[in-house]
Amino acid sequence: MRRPLPRLTAGHPLQLVLGLTIWSLWFVALYGGLSVACAVAPPAPTQGAMTGLNLWLGLLTLATLGLLGWLARACLTAAWRERGRTRFMAALGAGLHLFSAAGVAFVGLPLVVLPPCL
Amino acid sequence: MSETPHSASGDAREAERLHRELAAVWANPRGWRALTVVNHSTLGLRFMATGLVFFLLGGVLAMLVRAQLALPDQAFMAPGIYHQVVTMHGTVMMFLFAIPMLEGLAIYLIPKMIGTRDLVCPRLTAFGYWCYLFGGIILFSSLVLEMAPDSGWFMYTPLSSAEHSPGPGSDFWLLGITFVEISALSAGVELTVSILRTRAPGMALHRMPLFAWYILAMALMIVVGFPPLILGSVLLELERAAGLPFFTVSGGGDPILWQHLFWLFGHPEVYIIFLPAAGIVSTLLPVFAGRPIVGYGWVVAAIVITGFISFGLWVHHMFTVGIPQLAQAFFSAASMLVAVPTAIQIFAWLATLWLGRPRMALPMLWILGFLIIFVCGGLTGVMLALVPFNWQVHDTHFVVAHLHYVLVGGMLFPLMAGLVYWLPLVSGRMPSERLGRWGFWLTFLGFNLTFLIMHWTGLLGMPRRIYTYDTAMGWDLYNLVSSIGGFMMSAGIAMVLLDLALHFRFGRPAPPNPWGADTLEWSLATPPPPYNFASLPRVETRHPLWENPALGDEIARGEHALADASHGRRELLGGEALTGRLREVIHLPTNSWWPLAAAACLAVVCVALLVRLYPLALVAFVVAALMLLRWSWENGAHPIAAAMGDDEPEAPPLHSRTHDGPGRWTMGVALLADGAFFLSLLFGWFYLWTVSPQWQMPERSPLSLPLLVGAGAAFTLGALWLERRLRALRAGEDDGLATALFAIAALGGLHLLLGAALLWRAELAPTASAHDAVLLVGLLYTLAHGLLAGVLAGLQGARAALGLVGARLPFEPEVVALLWRYQLGVYWILAAALGLLPRLIGGGV
Repeated sequence: MRRPLPRLTAGHPLQLVLGLTIWSLWFVALYGGLSVACAVAPPAPTQGAMTGLNLWLGLLTLATLGLLGWLARACLTAAWRERGRTRFMAALGAGLHLFSAAGVAFVGLPLVVLPPCL
Repeated sequence: MSETPHSASGDAREAERLHRELAAVWANPRGWRALTVVNHSTLGLRFMATGLVFFLLGGVLAMLVRAQLALPDQAFMAPGIYHQVVTMHGTVMMFLFAIPMLEGLAIYLIPKMIGTRDLVCPRLTAFGYWCYLFGGIILFSSLVLEMAPDSGWFMYTPLSSAEHSPGPGSDFWLLGITFVEISALSAGVELTVSILRTRAPGMALHRMPLFAWYILAMALMIVVGFPPLILGSVLLELERAAGLPFFTVSGGGDPILWQHLFWLFGHPEVYIIFLPAAGIVSTLLPVFAGRPIVGYGWVVAAIVITGFISFGLWVHHMFTVGIPQLAQAFFSAASMLVAVPTAIQIFAWLATLWLGRPRMALPMLWILGFLIIFVCGGLTGVMLALVPFNWQVHDTHFVVAHLHYVLVGGMLFPLMAGLVYWLPLVSGRMPSERLGRWGFWLTFLGFNLTFLIMHWTGLLGMPRRIYTYDTAMGWDLYNLVSSIGGFMMSAGIAMVLLDLALHFRFGRPAPPNPWGADTLEWSLATPPPPYNFASLPRVETRHPLWENPALGDEIARGEHALADASHGRRELLGGEALTGRLREVIHLPTNSWWPLAAAACLAVVCVALLVRLYPLALVAFVVAALMLLRWSWENGAHPIAAAMGDDEPEAPPLHSRTHDGPGRWTMGVALLADGAFFLSLLFGWFYLWTVSPQWQMPERSPLSLPLLVGAGAAFTLGALWLERRLRALRAGEDDGLATALFAIAALGGLHLLLGAALLWRAELAPTASAHDAVLLVGLLYTLAHGLLAGVLAGLQGARAALGLVGARLPFEPEVVALLWRYQLGVYWILAAALGLLPRLIGGGV
């Protein structure tokens, strides 16, 4: 079976910042997208949370969640296999990806219940 | 095999000779030439001593505030003076004490902890110190002149704008703080590169002391977090001095933009202050628990998470400005999220205490005080993250109390622990337990008396920044108790300072490694020599002194690397960032007047701008730039640095003979800060475009497309040519290098000319519209970078002609190439954002 990520990549120091960078980009896209959409074409407040804007931002959130989950799994697999410094980096990377994924889920949760521009 | 007395005395003589040799190369000059010192130990101590002076001044301001608020209807201070005092208290404590003090500690300790002799850019350390000192003096002088800023330490517009603050107070703040931030950025850049590239051989990232992890995160956060405020300060000063309406609604600006830029800096700032302090805790606590910290990897993860998430919270300072509920929910959730890494660290510390055998020495008292106060501050932080509660207590003393619980608990208490702990390293003497314990208890009780009570004052509705109150409000008793607590805390701090002063003369001489620590700094003599390590050890463990208590003696005997200074160079070892594997020998510049002279010229710029003498400011700026260029000239194979010669090491080589020395990393990290500034500018552009209520985009872009593309094409051509020459240099070919570099510089000049024509032809009206004002700043930004790229390429051409750059000395063009790549990217992004995008989607958003 092919590994989700090559061995070296999972232990690469960039894993320390990759997950949280993805979180940051998602967060900027979420807040920026919401702000621009609300300035340009705000949905009617009567629609509640069931708007196209919430849907698009929700899909972005799910996609980000999927990507972070995949990265976390790849690092975790490598951490079990490796030893020494590479194991440390891979395990740390897995933890950071998992935290980033949890952060995406937690911060993105209000999309389900709140109207976007009220 | 046992050593004979004869060989032992021979070894001692050899060690003595080595120390004399190293002392001759690394010694600090005395008298006037002490101003040229670039050594990290001396400069770290200067940073801390200066920070301590500002702390005392800020503390006096705090006591003035508490004296004023102790009783209702006080007329102790006039309202105007009170607002100046309150603003300056916050400003001094945040910008002139907390950050520089922690930077000073890091500058002093990091090389000693990671097993090296100095930071990688010693002149930058000195430059940073002088900028801090001059900026601090300029800023504080405003209070003496009764012209201090009075709009609060966050300088919200429009209160701080020319209309509502017509005096020079806001200018003092904006110019002084920007000057001081140059210092912070200098420290951020060089601490990052030093930690990544000069650790002891074998000290891979996963073996690095936790304190270095914390400082690495702090340094990178400074690099990314400070530029938004620098941009905000530049824009606000331009608005005040020249009338460019970035924050004025009628001109198409928006005052809320200032809040965004300020808090983009301001919230990470809290963690920039907290992280090094937490680093002190994570260093000291295992020493006094007598065991390694529990969950090293978890703590590292918590540090990285804090570094990122803290940038995603800034809007929680703006919950009441009118943003959509959904956006508030995002920031509320993110604010709760940041409690997780803090909790991870607290559980790691508690577990370490639980599993160890804690000794209740004086530093541990301060650590316990920190744990109690900071946990309380963290809990009120989670309360404030909840939007409805936040709205209720917004702008009340509850927020002031929370802020002090987080900052004093999270920074001052660990700092005190660290000062007591590392004092024997600095002075060779132990502090007094009795005085220290009195100092701690008075500070701890006084602090809680002041600020615990202040939570209730806030819940009763007392707003912050009011100079007095009516007795009918029912706040009298609470304020009186807070004021008594404040003076009690001052007595505690005075006790600590008394101990500090007395211990230099009366303190018991410190034994080697007096606390039984595990980190490398305690392998040194107390106080350490200017070169720290006589020889540089290999370190393959997180606890070098616990595993080899004799390491200090081995180092002093010269049994490890670089035990030779007969060549006269200041040398240290450079390694791979990840593994710590040895790569090169780094040669450092020695004492120099340039840092002081350049900082003094920038101080003249600052003062000239304050008094609106713009021609003088321009001249002083040009002189400062020339000095900095001359400074850069004395590098590499220049005779003042490391001339080519026979006594050069071959394996590993000197860094200036390689393609990737630490200077390249320094440029890279500096460009990261530059990029953060640029992204903040882009954010401002798009923010005003989409949000500002009276933003006006012209129907037709004022930027000429042919000139826009032509300027970019000239620079692109130069950048591609430079890359080609670099490839040739890596292959060992340097034929015609000087000519090529001059030609590349000429293309940079053409880029500049076309850019200037673009600006000229645009006929902008920057005082009439925020649109034109942003265009002007954007174009000036890219022109300044184009000018610098061209000048540096020209200087490289001159150095190549003089034999200071070539196939054997390929390093410097690699450094300059980074700037060219940056400018190439930035120019085209800016061209797209300012010139092309409005054409494509129109201005009617």
